[in-house]
Amino acid sequence: MHQPPKYMQSLLERLCPEYLWEGIAGDLEEQFYYDIEELGYKKARQNYFWNAVKFIRPGILMRNKFKLRINNTIMISNYFKIAGRHMARRKLFTFINAFGLSIGLAFALLIYLYIQDEHSFDEFHVNKDRIYRVEEYAYRAWDPDPENPYIQSPWLQTPFAPTVKEELAEVEFAARFDTGEEYVVKSGKKIFTEPITFTDPDFFKMFSFSVISGNKNEFLKEKHHAIITEAMAKKYFNDVDPLGATLQIDIDGEKEFEVIGVMQNPPANSSLYFDILVNQTHRFNYERSLANWSSFNTPTFVQLRKGADYAQFFDNLQGIRDKYMSERLARSKERYSIPDDVIQFEYHTTRLDNVHLNNAMYWHKVSDPQYSYILGVLALLIIIIAAINYISLALTTSTLRSTEVGVRKSIGASKNQLISQFAVESVVLVFISLILGVILMYLFLPTFNDFTGKEIKLNYLNLLEIVGFAIVISLSIGLMAGAYPAFFLSSFSPTKVLKGGSSTKVRAGVARPLVLLQFTLSTTLLISAFVMYQQMKYITTKDLGFNKDQVLVVPIQLGWTEEANLAVERVRNNLQNEPNIVSVSGTTSSFNRGWSRYGYEIDGENKKAYVWAVDPSYMDAMGIELLEGRNFSPSIPSDTTALIVNEALVKDMGWENPLEEYLNWREDTASLGYKVIGVVKDYHFRSLESEIEPMFLSMDKNEVGYYTTLLIKLKAGSLPTALERVEKAFNESIADKPFEYTFLDDDIQAQYASFERWMNIMGFSTLFALLISGLGLFGLAGINAINRTKEIGIRKVFGAPVSAIFILINKQFVFMALIAFIIAAPLASFLMNNWWLEDFKFKIEMGWSVYVLSFLIGLTVALLTVTYHGIRAARLNPSNTLRYE
Amino acid sequence: MSNIYLGEFEELMLTMVGILKEAAYGNAIVEEVKTQLERKVNLSAVHVTLYRLEDKGLLKSFMGGATNERGGRRKRYFELTSAGIKVLQSLQEQRMKLWKLVPELKFSI
Repeated sequence: MHQPPKYMQSLLERLCPEYLWEGIAGDLEEQFYYDIEELGYKKARQNYFWNAVKFIRPGILMRNKFKLRINNTIMISNYFKIAGRHMARRKLFTFINAFGLSIGLAFALLIYLYIQDEHSFDEFHVNKDRIYRVEEYAYRAWDPDPENPYIQSPWLQTPFAPTVKEELAEVEFAARFDTGEEYVVKSGKKIFTEPITFTDPDFFKMFSFSVISGNKNEFLKEKHHAIITEAMAKKYFNDVDPLGATLQIDIDGEKEFEVIGVMQNPPANSSLYFDILVNQTHRFNYERSLANWSSFNTPTFVQLRKGADYAQFFDNLQGIRDKYMSERLARSKERYSIPDDVIQFEYHTTRLDNVHLNNAMYWHKVSDPQYSYILGVLALLIIIIAAINYISLALTTSTLRSTEVGVRKSIGASKNQLISQFAVESVVLVFISLILGVILMYLFLPTFNDFTGKEIKLNYLNLLEIVGFAIVISLSIGLMAGAYPAFFLSSFSPTKVLKGGSSTKVRAGVARPLVLLQFTLSTTLLISAFVMYQQMKYITTKDLGFNKDQVLVVPIQLGWTEEANLAVERVRNNLQNEPNIVSVSGTTSSFNRGWSRYGYEIDGENKKAYVWAVDPSYMDAMGIELLEGRNFSPSIPSDTTALIVNEALVKDMGWENPLEEYLNWREDTASLGYKVIGVVKDYHFRSLESEIEPMFLSMDKNEVGYYTTLLIKLKAGSLPTALERVEKAFNESIADKPFEYTFLDDDIQAQYASFERWMNIMGFSTLFALLISGLGLFGLAGINAINRTKEIGIRKVFGAPVSAIFILINKQFVFMALIAFIIAAPLASFLMNNWWLEDFKFKIEMGWSVYVLSFLIGLTVALLTVTYHGIRAARLNPSNTLRYE
Repeated sequence: MSNIYLGEFEELMLTMVGILKEAAYGNAIVEEVKTQLERKVNLSAVHVTLYRLEDKGLLKSFMGGATNERGGRRKRYFELTSAGIKVLQSLQEQRMKLWKLVPELKFSI
């Protein structure tokens, strides 16, 4: 027999007046069994729930136990009144408590928003449960790495999508989605570079991005179709209706596209990002790729049919592998003698709503789920610190209220009533902080967005959620932090308290370890923030082996063509006699703008090296130091097949006299390979997260590549005029292409954006933590000073100078800061070494200076906060403090 | 009885209790409103209104008629008090009186 939901029944029973309960419950239950017959069990349960909820209304609730209600209201209003008076009397403590808690709350709310945003990624797609990103999971045969034996990557073969759509029954739609590479886009006089997305018509059937105009069933049906976002429509066509307009996009030669649809910009919490969508078939070498199962060059999404069996689908994916890739896999198995029990290749998948937090492979906006935890822990720490303020201040002021407790008890207040009184007090306080906290959160949100690189906006939906969450956590903080003082205060025995026998000295016993804990947490944060700051400073100021200042990075925008190399020459000639331009150079890719790495076999050993094609002025423009040999020369034709290598490569090859060596990196059996003409000092061509690995520079445009980027070294202090001059030269030398530039030092700094972000967040948290614990200490010091008023008076009468009293009062805080530091230092060093610094191959040592400095900062904060009370207490006139007795 | 004013819903409930006579309890009233007026009313609203009318002295209630599908619980039956009957009657009279004062209406579509 089905039963109505028990919990609802008992909840309602508690809320309903007893004399009405039987009739109500009976009616509800009768309706429930009637509904089961008519609508089925599930619906009946729902109805029961809602019907029952509707009974929670004033018309019912207000009929409750009249006598008791009057009693309670009177007392409750008294509790509120007393709470208000108490707060008004101790404005400073109230402020410290409320402010500390509200900062803690604001912080917790911000982090709640962050976590919520992280988990909202891609949730807006209707079919999110059926859409999968298919991925490559391949054994690193060529370059085995026992710690990380598999390549995991979201890039698949071009023919994969059409093949699975045709051959697998489970697959309803399949779309390749290749985005990010920038091309020159033209419309009339407007020329910019934009990232172009190559996809398939199925894309619009799978994903729920909203279409503003155009018929999405037609999108990309024709080869010349282009779909653009609202932002693009505005940028290129202003207010003119873009439908039917044309765009010229330079993909392997300029082509004309017709805009047939406008979509809304993808929301901030979308893993898929696009501006202009065109058909896959426009991809470079598309026809050739379509027949090639060994080149992985486009991410692919598939949507399963409703009710399709995922396990079956997964098996079938491996069937696709067996059908199309077995030959190639068998060959590589033989060549690298891979043991039989090793899985060479598998197709793996990630469901769309998990893409954002799957950081096993690179994806636009991918995020580490660990971040959410770390932030959560930080929020928890801040709240603990704030709650400790509350507890310790409530405890230390407790004797001030002991008389009240005594009087209440002797009139007949029960212990429970006193507990609820103190609970009301703490809840009132917490709710004041809650309002402040929400306001603070609102004010801090833009800063927080900057720090975390998010675009969280408040709307009705998440505001409601936030307020709900805020109420829940403030109630729990209020009750938890309030519980101990409430029990402690209500346990006073009236006879003892009222007789006045016990000392009037405020007990700080329990408060001290709490404050110590608080200080330890803050100091840990402080040291960590400090280490992060030092590391970032180290990274930005470390000598990278080349000069990154005053270098302008300008994309040539001519694609992968001979023309680009000629353009570099033209720009160079154009700028030749300019006093403000030191050097003009071309390269295949600038720093932090991509790299290429080649693998080759030499004497049966697998080697690999990074490769850049550069021109002779590169070394000069970048200030790279040549250790041996010579630079490339434009006048020596054989230099096109010469190399300049770095020290790491020399070491890797074990060369004694590198200038007499050849590097046969093309594995050319007919020749010795490329002659080494120079050795450069190791420089950091990649981020400081990695070691300097073997690398060489070449002028060989056929084998290494054409130039894509101009690196232009400017004279210091010549910026605005030099920049103008470079733009003029660019426009004169490269017609119809947009002039865009960045500064090299900014590009290099951008590599460390996520570390910098963590440093900021840590700094932010540390600031909060120090502020709150400083406030707490301030309050504690105040109480301490009050307690010792008489003692100080007597000491002064006997001739103690102000300085001696100051030291007397404050030495315990210095002591406390010291203990906190002793606990925090190893904790912080463990945290930093194992979490943050670990990612850097080049890092600071956590030397004594870090510790000493953070100790001094902690101590200064502590002393600053206690000084006010210390000096005030020390300067009090003893005749005033001793007069009353 | 002119000093008692009833809302539309209160009046409806009062009438329903009159219609159902001895069988007037929460669910029955909901059902009756549904069959007679094709109007869906909320069980909790019915209850609250009935209690309010009881407070005003227009209804009285008693418990009885436990059945199995109510989990063995009794029903709270309502019936009209004499004051309730008078209010119903006077409401009807007032309405008739007013209706007669309305000049003849011509309804056109």
